[in-house]
Amino acid sequence: MMNGRPPRWFEWMLMSVLPIRDRETISGDLFEEYCQERLPRLGRLRANFWYVRQVVGFAVIRLVWGPFMKKALFAISLFTIAAGCWLAVMENVLKHDGHGGRTVLDLLIAAQGVVTVSVILFRAGSLLRLVAILGAIAVAWVGGSALWNILRATHFEGFVVVIGAALIAQGILTIAAFVRPHAIR
Amino acid sequence: MADLLGAFEQAVLLAIVKAGEDAYGRSVLRGVEDALNRGVAAGAVYATLNRLESKRLISSRLGEGTAERAGRARRYYRLTASGAAALNESKAALEQLWQGAKWPLGAGA
Repeated sequence: MMNGRPPRWFEWMLMSVLPIRDRETISGDLFEEYCQERLPRLGRLRANFWYVRQVVGFAVIRLVWGPFMKKALFAISLFTIAAGCWLAVMENVLKHDGHGGRTVLDLLIAAQGVVTVSVILFRAGSLLRLVAILGAIAVAWVGGSALWNILRATHFEGFVVVIGAALIAQGILTIAAFVRPHAIR
Repeated sequence: MADLLGAFEQAVLLAIVKAGEDAYGRSVLRGVEDALNRGVAAGAVYATLNRLESKRLISSRLGEGTAERAGRARRYYRLTASGAAALNESKAALEQLWQGAKWPLGAGA
């Protein structure tokens, strides 16, 4: 049997993406598989490649379906609730042309945030989840078109970029999280 | 009737059954790869194990660490009564689905 162990950097990365409960057992399983099966059979380069692929797989699962996404989606939703309310208030303070329609849009953005947060907090059923997914498509579109318009405009407004990017991120994360039934736990 | 198990869930449960007392993460991973005759991402197997455990279809216990694993513990899995029932139900449902159909199917069947 060849002497060796998995690349240390990736061992460290694996530990950091695994939940505490599974850190020892899963890293031990992969260590055992690497040393006893992959390294003797495949050689160091391909065995390392196998190990790195597994670590990346765990990282993707953690990112897409794990608590990280839940926390990120929760935080972004809270931000868009605050942003929607702030925009609605400002529309009614400044009272530019067409502020009525934009106020409705701002409140819908805030409402979408409330729906998303509710699904996460209360593990809501399929109806509210469906509403959140449909709303996610809408807010991603609103965010995208806001970004597109502001980047082409002569008058640059940074807050539109921040809120637009947040809406796009919220839309993508909501779809990724709620389309899979086991995503949010 | 409870939700039927997916094909991957069945493969994981059957790998646990076949491994018997030695059903831990690595042996389940290899069992699933053998059953499906292809490489499988370890992350997908462990995510399925976690899901099956949260549904109480399997249970787990921690074993001792060994030198070949740099002293790290193994987590051993076993099927619960609900897990066995779910597997039986899935197999019965599949057989019922195929009842009356000729197998293997030919073109235009």
